[in-house]
Amino acid sequence: MLINTGIPTKEDLAKVDPSAERLAQGPVAIVECFQEIPCNPCVDACKRNAINIEGDINGLPIVDFEKCNGCGVCIAHCPGLAIFVIDKTYSESHAVVRLPYEFVPLPEKGQLACALNRAGEELGNFEVVRVISGGAKNKTTTIWLAVPQDLAMEVRSIKAPNSAPNIQNSAPGLQSSPTDTLICRCEDITLDEIRRVIADGYRTIDEIKRVTRAGMGPCQGRTCRQLIAQELSRHFGIPMEEVLMSTFRPPVKPVKLGSFVKGGDL
Amino acid sequence: MKKAYDIVIIGGGITGCALGFELAKRGRKDILIIEKEYLTSGATGRCGAGIRQQWGTVLNATLARDSTYLFENLEEYTGYKGDCGLNQGGYLIVAYTEAEWTQFQKNLELQHGLNIPVQKLDPQGAKEIVPHLNTEGLYGATFCPTDGHADPFHCTFAYAKGAERLGVEIATYTEVTGLRTAGDKIIGVETTKGYVQAGTVINASGYNASAITKMVGMEVPVYPERHQILITEPVNHIQDPMVISFHYHFYCQQTPHGSFIMGIGDPTEPVSYNIQSSWKFMEDCATQVTHSLPILKNIRVVRQWGGLYDMSPDANPVIDEMKGASGLYTVAGFSGHGFMVAPKTAIIIAQQLTGEKPDIDLHLFSANRYETGELLLEPSVV
Repeated sequence: MLINTGIPTKEDLAKVDPSAERLAQGPVAIVECFQEIPCNPCVDACKRNAINIEGDINGLPIVDFEKCNGCGVCIAHCPGLAIFVIDKTYSESHAVVRLPYEFVPLPEKGQLACALNRAGEELGNFEVVRVISGGAKNKTTTIWLAVPQDLAMEVRSIKAPNSAPNIQNSAPGLQSSPTDTLICRCEDITLDEIRRVIADGYRTIDEIKRVTRAGMGPCQGRTCRQLIAQELSRHFGIPMEEVLMSTFRPPVKPVKLGSFVKGGDL
Repeated sequence: MKKAYDIVIIGGGITGCALGFELAKRGRKDILIIEKEYLTSGATGRCGAGIRQQWGTVLNATLARDSTYLFENLEEYTGYKGDCGLNQGGYLIVAYTEAEWTQFQKNLELQHGLNIPVQKLDPQGAKEIVPHLNTEGLYGATFCPTDGHADPFHCTFAYAKGAERLGVEIATYTEVTGLRTAGDKIIGVETTKGYVQAGTVINASGYNASAITKMVGMEVPVYPERHQILITEPVNHIQDPMVISFHYHFYCQQTPHGSFIMGIGDPTEPVSYNIQSSWKFMEDCATQVTHSLPILKNIRVVRQWGGLYDMSPDANPVIDEMKGASGLYTVAGFSGHGFMVAPKTAIIIAQQLTGEKPDIDLHLFSANRYETGELLLEPSVV
């Protein structure tokens, strides 16, 4: 299940993939978006009106593959990094996967990058053929990766070049320790504090919320809930899906008290 | 968990944990606290956490007064490293009807007799303490500066950690499924983790109290009733006291953290284990609170939740040994004010069970008062 694992299944992908004939004609966008959330920048990004959302803003985007020319503008506009452009006409042996990337350091043209599938598994090292900056207002970079034809529908990300130790060398500001890694941004709770209360015997997200206030702030745990679940999963050696979730309480976002008054204005 | 304990306490809320601590402090060994989920997962962790000494009966006022003294030093008293979050900003109790105002003046006399420092205020005086209070329709108010609120989680954890240091065992995620008796004597507790023998069993399970006594075929008139609360984003400090109205059933306080916590009772709420959040509550609470404290209309609500009062017919607890099952004690039915009286109540019960002379006579909380009709009606509940 996508909702539990974060990884789309073959059935999920069958709903969004273009036909083999369309892929053979040249570059085309694939929107691997499966969550009905209120989001539509992809619709506005496409100058050819090839992306539409059915119903209200919560609907899933649908690509008109005949209108799409694979320009790739939409890639950097998707906040969920869910859009890719596949060009199977790159060469006899290779296809190009254009993918969004938001980590530093960026790979450079001509370098080899380790390709990853949707589950984050390594598929081999392939050549970066182009790196396109998203511009000053959009920090999402588009990476063009030339991969063997048979991996074109598998490769969806790359591993950060030169892995962890060198990241510290190239960007000292990115180093972090448990004492300055924030888990709950609303209440300023660090990873160190979370680890301390787990060591102290608090076993669930709800207990940790009560003892530290993590998740009680304006965002109501949207970020920290998952991060605390990860820590619990690691500490107790249990899979993420077995970590007991905390209760999701209304309202979903902060709403003025006056808005709820009988006969009042929203 | 061992196979046998001297005392088994059912319920890991503030009452159960304080009892475990007070019993161990008096030298009792082999104590087990059984909690169905985690500590504070029931009423304690969902309560408004107010601490109020302004009661209308001598017994409740005395228990609350002495408990307040204990809350004032709870960290030191239990040896807790955390902060129990006590904030004594006072309680401002506002009167909107003449009958209410007459009752408050009677209460005031009673409270003064117990050295509880309560002041009588006219509407202007109330406005001096809470400048954003709407005094329309207000008869007057009473104010006790040493009332306040504390953190229900940390207070409970303080007692639990203190109890564990004194040798008390706490079994969380363990549910009581049955009680065993021999003749008319309690002998043990069946749980989802196995059977344990017990010399004494204390039923501190709040709104589940009658489900527990039914396991030995006995009824106590304690039933669950949903109450809801909402909390806002934190803002600058503007309100010291809890503002509370019995007439409109609402209360509203600002925590040291800056959030406003408020709730409103619904007199039509049925007996039920339902703890779902309702739109009706949100609307009722917003409407009443923004009428009485208009400035709050622009503060954003971040969360609402429901919890259960362990209600009794006279809004006072049953604290008694069960006739026909000696060794089984019920300590439940606090009807929404269990948190604020738990520290002193635990001491008195521990004194009774260890043969000490109790500081306060609790016979008015006996179980048979519902049969004899000698109810202890409390005029000051929300």
